[in-house]
Amino acid sequence: MKHSINHSLFFPNPPEAVWEYLTNLELMQLWLMKNDFKPIVGHDFQFRTNPLPQFNFDGIVYCKVLEIIPNKKLVYSWKGGSSKDAVSWDTIVEWTLTEKDNGTELQLIHSGFENVENLPIFYGFKDGWLKNMHKIYNKLNTAAHDTTNA
Amino acid sequence: MTQQTLDAFQVIADPSRRQILKLLSKKSLTINALAENFDMSRPAVSKHINIMERAGFVSIQGIGRERHCLLKQDGFNELQKWINYFDNFWQSKLQKLQLLLDKKAQS
Repeated sequence: MKHSINHSLFFPNPPEAVWEYLTNLELMQLWLMKNDFKPIVGHDFQFRTNPLPQFNFDGIVYCKVLEIIPNKKLVYSWKGGSSKDAVSWDTIVEWTLTEKDNGTELQLIHSGFENVENLPIFYGFKDGWLKNMHKIYNKLNTAAHDTTNA
Repeated sequence: MTQQTLDAFQVIADPSRRQILKLLSKKSLTINALAENFDMSRPAVSKHINIMERAGFVSIQGIGRERHCLLKQDGFNELQKWINYFDNFWQSKLQKLQLLLDKKAQS
């Protein structure tokens, strides 16, 4: 099986509005992390979060913009490890926006954990992810319900 | 149990180590039997095995005079933890994004 992370979410907003939140540095900070992103192919940037010593992670994600199709697609590399010179995971984050039903379907694929391809443990992964997907679906539906009631 | 911590992703970054793990996923093998699958020397295979043993991917059992290599779960669990971390990370971030955009759609 493939073991990339894959999430799809529907937003009741036009692709342009979702795109803004994916590519405007200040809007990105509101939901993602502090960063110095610029929507320019080849631009090197970083996300900063808390270090996770148990994962040998210094809290800095090193990225480079790889592809931009305005309002449709954004791809950047996503690397990190215990330091800039000791990168242990070298992965790709890919955002795809599709206009649909007066809104936008946003898909995230985080891939490139391919070092572990075909290793036996990954047969067990599928179920866990599916469970988590259902969890988030339920949470969001309840949340949406709550706001309508409020 | 004084083990130096090794980064699981770095340990399996080497293609021949991944090949060894694949071979071991079918059945346990001695270092000699493993070495037959590679162009490298027995000591070289042994070195890879030792590193993977330290990182928890492999255990070595002595049966008679032979040392049999078996897969071990611990190293794989490390990889799984990390991928799960990112999976949860994105879920929580996307939830935040959805709340923000919900607000925007309503205003």
